[in-house]
Amino acid sequence: MRANFIFSEVWIGLRRNLTMTIAVIVTVAVGMALLGVGLMINSQVSKLTGFWSDKVELSVYLCVKGSPFDACKNKGAVTQEEKGSLEQTIRGLPEVESVKFETQAEAYKNWQNTENNTLLLSVTKVEDMPESFRVKLKDPEKAAVVASNLKGQPGVSNVVNERDLLQSVFGFMDTLRNMALGIAILMVFAATLLIGNTVRLSAYNRRRETGIMRLVGASNIYIQLPFVMEGLIAGLIGGVLSGVLLILVKIFIFEEIQTYMVAPLGWDTVAGVITGTMAIGVLICVFASFVTLRRYLRV
Amino acid sequence: MIHFDNVTKVYANQNRPALDHVSVDVDKGEFVFLVGPSGSGKSTFLRLVLKEERPNSGSIHVAGKDLAKLSNFKVPHLRRRIGCVFQDFRLLPNKNVYENVAFALEVIGKPRRFIRKVVPEVIELVGLEGKAHRMPEELSGGEQQRVAMARAFVNRPMILLADEPTGNIDPATSIGIMKVLDRINRTGTTVLMATHDAAIVDSMRKRVVELEDGKIVRDQSRGVYGQAY
Repeated sequence: MRANFIFSEVWIGLRRNLTMTIAVIVTVAVGMALLGVGLMINSQVSKLTGFWSDKVELSVYLCVKGSPFDACKNKGAVTQEEKGSLEQTIRGLPEVESVKFETQAEAYKNWQNTENNTLLLSVTKVEDMPESFRVKLKDPEKAAVVASNLKGQPGVSNVVNERDLLQSVFGFMDTLRNMALGIAILMVFAATLLIGNTVRLSAYNRRRETGIMRLVGASNIYIQLPFVMEGLIAGLIGGVLSGVLLILVKIFIFEEIQTYMVAPLGWDTVAGVITGTMAIGVLICVFASFVTLRRYLRV
Repeated sequence: MIHFDNVTKVYANQNRPALDHVSVDVDKGEFVFLVGPSGSGKSTFLRLVLKEERPNSGSIHVAGKDLAKLSNFKVPHLRRRIGCVFQDFRLLPNKNVYENVAFALEVIGKPRRFIRKVVPEVIELVGLEGKAHRMPEELSGGEQQRVAMARAFVNRPMILLADEPTGNIDPATSIGIMKVLDRINRTGTTVLMATHDAAIVDSMRKRVVELEDGKIVRDQSRGVYGQAY
């Protein structure tokens, strides 16, 4: 096997089909980048889910003075007796694992840590914050039942299932991921067809050479290798470009939203995703070259 | 060297067989003309020898190998022992004479030192000394065919198949081509030549196998093309 012979053939093939090769490279790059983004969102979501799953709870907010909630109107703040009986009721429920009481001061402190609107911070006083029971459930799926149970109780302003809030965020990320993966699959499909076409053109362009090679007894590998290498090199360049795109996505998108994500996506994950998508890109190219060769290059 | 035993070949979508129960023996070192009108099965015969086609029935042995038992993987090795020349030369237009001949050795992985030694010898054998760096388009038809013969012979095949090698060449030049084929034959290479050229067949006085409608109608040593033509 003469390496320089193979490489000169590969180079000639790539140059002759330059536009086709560029199309392959771009398709592979975009397709693999989208696949990578899908995987990155996926791992971000599972990280968040893991982080939040032991923190989700029901928040039972209690009435404060001048609360705008219907349940509290014209009643004023919750009374001490109401608080006591409410805690009894909650503790009495079989679905409840534990209950924690959050005072106005604690609520204010927590809120101050997460809010960064300075105007709002300056006008809000401790007395405006509602007290609440933080209820942890044995089975988070039962949240809706418990919530509706507690909603009508005297002194309760509102019951919030924090899971619902998270669910909407996760739902949004799931949609993003599915879209990215869906488009990635389409791009992979397009890349496969494009590579097939490129190889077919290449085989047609070099039919004289391959015909003579066949005639003088060149082995099948020797005849096919330049074509497969063309696919491999195009796939590799596409893969490298997709790696660059993924790094940009990490820097400009994931780093940006990192402030809202308590569990950041590490560079190790990104590196893994890039390696994976590059390998997939190259494999797809080689596979597509091989399959088309069998159709268009009789050996 | 080439042994056909009751070989029948029917192409798909055709009722009439291209070869119909053909049995032929060609010995080592023989020079055989394969004659007959177009469509009589000459080219099919050559394609079967190369295992480019498979017979529907009958068995073919080439260079001691049963082609039916030869795996696809080994077909390239069979073809290394068979040289081929065609009516349309089939040279690579972007390579010069030397490179065209060397190409046949490069693609079967021969070492460069060997190629540098052998290629000039063969170019001389076919009478193209001094023209190694010409491009095919700068050569006459006869010279191009000599390049093709050099390429077919450079790996010292046991068999040389020639499919109407003089078909595109004027009679005067054809004589030169035949001299080269004769020279190749004298090195011990079996030559099998399909042709329409009565004058050449008559002048060479070699074995003649005549095909008609896929059947052998004549097999004559030191024969002529035939009175009918």
